[in-house]
Amino acid sequence: MALALVCGLSGTRGWGATPENCSELRRHGKRVEAQACYEGLVRSTSAAVRAEGYWGIGQFDDANEQFRVALTAPDAGAAVRVRWGMLLHERFNDGDAMGLFKEALERDPKNAQAYLGMARVSAEGFDGKATANALKALSLDPKLYEAHELLAGLALENNDTEYAISETEGALLIAPDAMDAIAVRGAVDLLADRTAEADAWFAKMRAVNAGYGGGYVLVARQLERHYRYEDAMGYYRKAVEAEPKLWAAHSALGIDLMRTGQEEEPRRELELSYTNGYRDAATVNSLRLLDSYKNFVTFKDATTILRMRKEEADLLRPYFDAELHRAIATYQQKYKMTLPVPVQLEVYPDHEDFAVRTMGMPGLGALGVTFGEVVAMDSPSGRKPGEFNWGATLWHEMSHVYILTMTKHRVPRWFTEGLAVHEESVATGRPEWANRLTPDVLAAIRDKKLLPIEKLDKGFVVPEYPAQVIVSYYQAGSICDFIGSKYGEDKLLAMAKAYAEVKTTPEVLQSVLGLSAANFDTAYMDWLGKGAGKTAANFDAWRGRLKGLVEIAKSKDYDAVLKEGEAVRALYPEYVGEANPYEFMAEAWLAKGDKKAAVEALTSYERAGGESPATLKKLAALEEELGNGKAAAATLERILYIYPLRDEELHRRLGALWLAQGNFAGAIRENTAVVAMKPLDKAGAEFSLAQAYYAAGDKAKAEEQVLLALEAAPGFRPAQKLLLQLEKPDKPDAAKSLETKEKR
Amino acid sequence: MTTSRLLTLACCLLVAVMSRGAAGATYFVTVAGLGGEPDYEQRFTAAAKDLDKAFRASGASAHVTTLMGKDATRARLTEVLGTVAREAKGDDDFVLVLIGHGTFSGGSGGGEDSGDGYKFNLVGPDVTAAELAGMCDKITSRRQLVVDTTSASGGAVMALRRAGRAVVAATKSGTEKNATVFARYWVEAMQDPAADVDKSDSISAMEAFQYADKKTAAFYESQKRLATEHAVFEDTGRGEPVRTASGNEGNLLSSFTVLRIGASQKATNDPARQQLLLKKEELEQKVDVLKYGKAAMDPDEYKKQLRETLVQLAEVQGELDK
Repeated sequence: MALALVCGLSGTRGWGATPENCSELRRHGKRVEAQACYEGLVRSTSAAVRAEGYWGIGQFDDANEQFRVALTAPDAGAAVRVRWGMLLHERFNDGDAMGLFKEALERDPKNAQAYLGMARVSAEGFDGKATANALKALSLDPKLYEAHELLAGLALENNDTEYAISETEGALLIAPDAMDAIAVRGAVDLLADRTAEADAWFAKMRAVNAGYGGGYVLVARQLERHYRYEDAMGYYRKAVEAEPKLWAAHSALGIDLMRTGQEEEPRRELELSYTNGYRDAATVNSLRLLDSYKNFVTFKDATTILRMRKEEADLLRPYFDAELHRAIATYQQKYKMTLPVPVQLEVYPDHEDFAVRTMGMPGLGALGVTFGEVVAMDSPSGRKPGEFNWGATLWHEMSHVYILTMTKHRVPRWFTEGLAVHEESVATGRPEWANRLTPDVLAAIRDKKLLPIEKLDKGFVVPEYPAQVIVSYYQAGSICDFIGSKYGEDKLLAMAKAYAEVKTTPEVLQSVLGLSAANFDTAYMDWLGKGAGKTAANFDAWRGRLKGLVEIAKSKDYDAVLKEGEAVRALYPEYVGEANPYEFMAEAWLAKGDKKAAVEALTSYERAGGESPATLKKLAALEEELGNGKAAAATLERILYIYPLRDEELHRRLGALWLAQGNFAGAIRENTAVVAMKPLDKAGAEFSLAQAYYAAGDKAKAEEQVLLALEAAPGFRPAQKLLLQLEKPDKPDAAKSLETKEKR
Repeated sequence: MTTSRLLTLACCLLVAVMSRGAAGATYFVTVAGLGGEPDYEQRFTAAAKDLDKAFRASGASAHVTTLMGKDATRARLTEVLGTVAREAKGDDDFVLVLIGHGTFSGGSGGGEDSGDGYKFNLVGPDVTAAELAGMCDKITSRRQLVVDTTSASGGAVMALRRAGRAVVAATKSGTEKNATVFARYWVEAMQDPAADVDKSDSISAMEAFQYADKKTAAFYESQKRLATEHAVFEDTGRGEPVRTASGNEGNLLSSFTVLRIGASQKATNDPARQQLLLKKEELEQKVDVLKYGKAAMDPDEYKKQLRETLVQLAEVQGELDK
């Protein structure tokens, strides 16, 4: 229809065939005829028609140029802009495409195609406006079946199956050969594991055009949105089989293959797309990421594959390796299952590298992502200190690994995310890593913006306000907290198993908890109201009084800081962000000379989830000063999960504390970390490690390290004494070394 | 590594070890130049005071002069360096540390080679690199170390370089013109025992350079700022400034002891222990030779010899400590 408009407006057809004719030929699989048709259009006297011709034969630059020429015509209107916008959208330039759609609407506010174009751009950008734009397009042109197709796909992404089906029916009523509608209808059945029914739909699609790969791409994308990456790969393969020159499908297949931890085949597919001109950001960046793998090192054992950047592997590997194995052991027991293959954990120090892994996916990309048994996450070095807790992220992603495997990837987003958030504190046994009640979340609770459980997936996929993804994580996590505390942790496992049987959320709630979705929402909101709800009611008062507290702190009226600080804390105890009352109060206690009270304030901060490395280090120093080395070590140990890099002193201090407390394994680990940081004082670091080995009774390793220390600094007296102790334990000078060590 | 190369290396090391043992005086001149703003004024003065304290604490053989505030003028600097030129003898060392702002105009009349382009900012008239070089040239000493920690100090290196003089600059060229932090960490190197990486109870110029360079880089990294200074050195008198030791560059810096700390100075001055010291130096030299030949040795044999030598060294040190 839009094609006809272009021709009509241009007014100088010059050839019998119209772009619409050519498009119909192609849609029905008549490739040779379509090619000839488009080549004919190239000879048109109309620039807009020539543009369509070039576009049809894949000469995108020429098409772009012809649209540019077409726009100079005095009568160039909305239709040309819309078509140019559609070309730019197809060729990875959504910014300019959106601009052209908007220009078109300025000239013709009732241009349905412009709204459809905007809906397509929004759908890929997950900005939450796609549905509204598609509906607007339909209201302007009720026969625009492509809008129905788009709406069907969007609904299915949000698990709104009924609406998805009705929209496919709407499209097919207008155009019985609407292949994308057929594809989405097939995807509905496929997601419900009705394979035979799905195949019947795909047969219909092939009957219209056996060489149409786009339909399979739509199916594969739906499978991806539902975490079924392996299945998605199968459909991308069908797409390229049906349409070997569908480079978008080759690229998507390559990216999906990368997600399963492969390298060779993805490279082949991505390079094939790239060399054939399909160079969208995902293709280019994925190829770059594959190239960067030469800078990574991989460690494998029976249950794990750990890939880390070479320069930080020595330092981080012991921490990640231990935590990964701890998570596996815990989840294996809790979820009563063993993973069929090793888990692959990729740790990216460059956030952009990590971001490549999540391109084209909704509501993802914050810190970690899981694709089946492959987990990709930011390295702590990829973020500013205190910005994220890699330990919590690792446990979060590992919960996904188990739940996705257990349910064969048949699980709604809210549940797997909610359970993963829940496990950050429950499975780890670290309450301080609990679901974070941030100001954004409080505001959402206060403003009654939480979604019914049936609609919660939308909060992740198509957020309607900027903080909705974060709020949805909180809500999903607290729903699992609620279920775990009221009905028992085993009910969460039962829910996962019910989802594996492809039940809907209302069915799962009914079968596992005996509640309808509506009743569940009521029970959950009652529970929430007694906890976070109360804090939400205090939110405005808290905000005002926090400002006041900041002013009081500036005046250094410490008694007033302590009084008001306690009041502010009580209003919103979970707040540990900038200018939190805990730190103000600790500062006040220190100014008053009461270190013990300062420690109490900072310990409360730590328990509430405070993660500023500087503040925690201050707490550890105070604890040590007050003679509580055990607490100091525990506090420093927490910093390791937040920012274990670029801080030799942290590891050196913790190593010494562990050594003093007889935790030799801890002392060895920490002093190994210092050595891995290639410190200026290499000899000192090697010597401390030698001491830790010596204390642990490992004389061979102690000797190895002390020789390394003395190789760097032959005159290093304490190391000399330890060497003599190791080589000539009966010599008097050697005996002195023990005394020296004990005094250190 | 061939045997002859090893022998040559052993000889070089012997020279280095012997020079470590020599006991001439060291003349320290530190200048905190014009700050321009109270913040810089305070920072430069504090750094100069810290250096003054560290140098004075290093022993009786240290002759320390520090110019700061209103005293930091070209006239006073000329006078002080003239005094050093009169007093210093052939077996003495001379250390000049410049803290403050530097400027560089690399255009006509002042290229990096001529030394006219770089100026160290003082109260009143500034002093150029060429003028500084001229004043230092008049000082008779065994070795000299010039540490220019100012902005644009890289522009002074070519004018200051001379055989027997090691030159350290906070910036790689005259075009790195932002205020530097290198001085802060050079001072810290004189105070932090961690700078003594070979645990020899002394801080060599190379140890101080590496300490300050690493800490400077860490500073910019922690601030998430692009580094605007990259320290360099030149110590052959005929090379281009470099960032790391290579070829002959770095030999003088490595053997130049800026500061003695702990017990080493006492032992050096005790004639009764000379024999043990000689034995110790011999063993240290053997360790050095072993280390340089490590790549060509069987790892087990290397470890065996290293262990034996280090045990002997530890025993000798034990005797020295008695």
